[in-house]
Amino acid sequence: MSDKLKQIINQQGDQQNVALDQLDDVVQLVGFIIGDEEYAIPILSIQEIIKPFSWTRVPQVPKYVLGVFNLRGAVIPLIDLRAKFGLQTKKQSDETRFIVMRHGDDVAGFVIDRLTMAIRIKKTDIGPAPDTVNGDDTIIDGVGKQADKIITILKVNKLLERDF
Amino acid sequence: MDEFQEILQDFLVESFELVEKLDEDLVELENDPEDLELLNGIFRVAHTVKGASSFLNFDVLTHLTHHMEDVLNKARHGDLVLTPDIMDVILESVDLMKALLETIRDTSADAGIDVAACVARLDKITGGDGNVATPESIAPAPEAVAEEEVVEVTPAEDEPDYDNMSPDDLEAEIEKLLQERQAEDKAKREAKIAAGESVLEAPPEPTEESASKAKPEPTPEPTPEPTPAPAASAPVSTASSTPKEDSKAAAPAKRAPAAVEQTIRVDVKRLDHLMNLIGELVLAKNRLIKINDDVEERYEGEEFLEELNQVVSIVSLVTTDLQIAVMKTRMLPIGKVFNKFPRMIRDLSRELNKKIDLVLGGEDTELDKSIVEEIGDPLVHIIRNSCDHGVEMPEDRIAAGKDETGTIELKAYNEGNQIVIQIDDDGKGLDTNMLKNKSLEKGIITEKEADNMSDKEAFGLIFKPGFSTAAAVTSVSGRGVGMDVVKTNIEKLNGMIDIDSELGVGTSMKLKIPLTLAIIQALLVGVQEEHYAIPLASVLETVRISKDEIYTVEGRSVMRLRDEVLSLVHIGDIFEVERILDASEHAYVVVLGLGTSKLGLIVDTLVGQEEIVIKSLGDYLKGIEGVAGATIRGDGGVTLIVDVVALMQMAKDVKATPLSEITSESSANLEKTKASDYTVMIVDDSKTDRTIMRKSLEPMGMTLVEASDGQEALNILKSGEYNFDAMLVDIEMPRMDGYTLATEIKKYNKYKKLPLIAVTSRTGKSDRMRGVESGMVEYITKPYSADYLSSVVQRNVNFKAEFL
Repeated sequence: MSDKLKQIINQQGDQQNVALDQLDDVVQLVGFIIGDEEYAIPILSIQEIIKPFSWTRVPQVPKYVLGVFNLRGAVIPLIDLRAKFGLQTKKQSDETRFIVMRHGDDVAGFVIDRLTMAIRIKKTDIGPAPDTVNGDDTIIDGVGKQADKIITILKVNKLLERDF
Repeated sequence: MDEFQEILQDFLVESFELVEKLDEDLVELENDPEDLELLNGIFRVAHTVKGASSFLNFDVLTHLTHHMEDVLNKARHGDLVLTPDIMDVILESVDLMKALLETIRDTSADAGIDVAACVARLDKITGGDGNVATPESIAPAPEAVAEEEVVEVTPAEDEPDYDNMSPDDLEAEIEKLLQERQAEDKAKREAKIAAGESVLEAPPEPTEESASKAKPEPTPEPTPEPTPAPAASAPVSTASSTPKEDSKAAAPAKRAPAAVEQTIRVDVKRLDHLMNLIGELVLAKNRLIKINDDVEERYEGEEFLEELNQVVSIVSLVTTDLQIAVMKTRMLPIGKVFNKFPRMIRDLSRELNKKIDLVLGGEDTELDKSIVEEIGDPLVHIIRNSCDHGVEMPEDRIAAGKDETGTIELKAYNEGNQIVIQIDDDGKGLDTNMLKNKSLEKGIITEKEADNMSDKEAFGLIFKPGFSTAAAVTSVSGRGVGMDVVKTNIEKLNGMIDIDSELGVGTSMKLKIPLTLAIIQALLVGVQEEHYAIPLASVLETVRISKDEIYTVEGRSVMRLRDEVLSLVHIGDIFEVERILDASEHAYVVVLGLGTSKLGLIVDTLVGQEEIVIKSLGDYLKGIEGVAGATIRGDGGVTLIVDVVALMQMAKDVKATPLSEITSESSANLEKTKASDYTVMIVDDSKTDRTIMRKSLEPMGMTLVEASDGQEALNILKSGEYNFDAMLVDIEMPRMDGYTLATEIKKYNKYKKLPLIAVTSRTGKSDRMRGVESGMVEYITKPYSADYLSSVVQRNVNFKAEFL
């Protein structure tokens, strides 16, 4: 390997390290809307975001579990976050999306009303969940403060946990 | 360390294989103690395991097998007659050996199992019989076993240091070893002859001579040609295998030349992965076939269709073959399970003081590995049961005019897509009255149920939890846990149990099990707009019935099927399906059979038979009652697979909803307060036509929704976004024409009263007729005047005059 090449590779390595350092205190989130609220989940727990398509109803489950759908050969549960959060169900629109989240081996699709954007937020700007919802049972991980609004950050592992 | 692990793995695999056969051979040997070939085989197993385990430093195992070897060796030489009592000790030692091997498998060490007692007993056998005192046959003190072993493993004879020998000394040493070997061989041969196994017509071996011949040879490899006898027994015999090879050749070449099978060991995980991939392929194939059908329909008569057809059929053919081929690689002969039973029967018959013969058949029948693993326990229970409750005591048998020895027949064979395992005994059979009384006593059934019970159903009682027919509880069976476990296990495999019995003659049980678990044949059924897959193995038949064939008895639906009364349940009641479609006059009943029970499942339509790949619903949705999993269909949709076992349970608690019940009118007509409350859909593929209609109706102020074909119209309607008061439908449209659209819409209860107005340029009488048949209320022919159209619409939606 020529020295020049080594040099370049080293440089790249350094850059990456720098980038990582910067990332260390920044959390990357993806924001979405359900009802009137904006929520966010860590970008790394998202497997993919897809446009809605048909699913199959499953009996004997709570209303918010719409059923299962086929994601390239895997059968994955589909959960309506509106229903789960106690909101009135709404017809799906052009902006409706399925967010497929993964935590360990657990995968599920979640129906959301609308995506907002990818958010970079400093860890220092994330506050704890409000006292009233403290404890392990809450699905709220924290509250991210933005310049003009606050965003509720959700716990993906809690979302993927079966609670019926 | 890795290398050691690898060797250890090989050792374990080999040992388990050997030991597995051992049981069977030993029992056979007991019946025929003279069978030297068998004895030799058994001896070799002990010997091989001993050799390998000493090499791997498993001292306890070595110790045990060494003593087994001693006993067997004696028997082999005819110094010992194998009585049942000696056999018990040998079998006990085999059990210990198995236990040790299992410990080694789990912990990589053979500590923790005390073999001293068994070894002492083995020693007693050898000792009590003019023994060839082996150094460790001095009965070892139990606590000293381990220490003693260390001594034992290091070869007792002081090994000369060959490296430092002079050539002459070496020569002498070789000669010495050779002579020892020859003498050993000679002794063995003589022993064999003494044992009456002198099939070898060779004269007394000129061993001495050959030894002297071999003398000048510099290698320690003794390649003697001791048998000038016609049979060229003992060809190139390597030092280690000489005695074995000889004995093999001596036995009339039954096993000797068996062609070596070309096999490799493959990790099961790899096969599982391969199976999964094939599953995906099967799904893709199904999809391809569906697309092919669609294309065929659309481009009828095109030339490329034939080519496409060919490709599709080749792909589907190859996929099927591939699937079968991979399935075959996972197949194991059921003999693997069967061969533990001779031993079991032997032990049981001694324990119960009965005389029982076991006849095996069809051991070569192959089953998927996962099923072979699951089937063992149920079979053990059934056979124990047959021994304990089926076959009578010898005196009873004689009194009944039967042979003193009872027979249990265990056989396996293929039947269609299933494997049947049949267990027959010639015992006392099942007494239906006794079964019923017993169940009544234990409160398993009610008196009424008992009265209405057929013989088959009564036999099925033995599978009920908490049922036990043995008057006395023995250690063998009678705890009342066995048979219901059998049933659940078999049902888990999608299998069925068929039981037949004749009092005093015997009982026959048939276990019917599918060949494989991952890919199954299923019957697809439709209910309302949903589809479900039912494993075909549990489907006995399907019947088309009309509603008045369904009767209600004590709140549950039943029907008469030939001379039986079949209880019915609607699949919609089980899976909480919303009844949005109008129930038709006819329904289909899928008759499900599981074990001995039957159930009729009412469905709306039968879709067909399809090969499906079972997929799990995942952790989040696992354990949903009545759903065994899901599969992906050719169209990419997910279809749930019915869990027939659970469904039969659920059917008992489900309240039947009458088929004809119509869901209440949920879309109650809201009071119209303004003109825009009226909503009309315009369905036409021509933009111009839609605009003309819009222009004609707009003046009234109604809400107008447009759709450009039937399919789109149906989707808009189903989405429920609007509450339509009328629809204007063109007849000629792509994708879905007006007639079809009307027929589809009329299937829904809530659209029964929705006025459909045909707007078309078709004027023929037959067209009008078709329109009426499909449910259109008005028929407007193009061209029309705007006033006419709006008046027709007004009439049909009951447009209030004040909005005009």
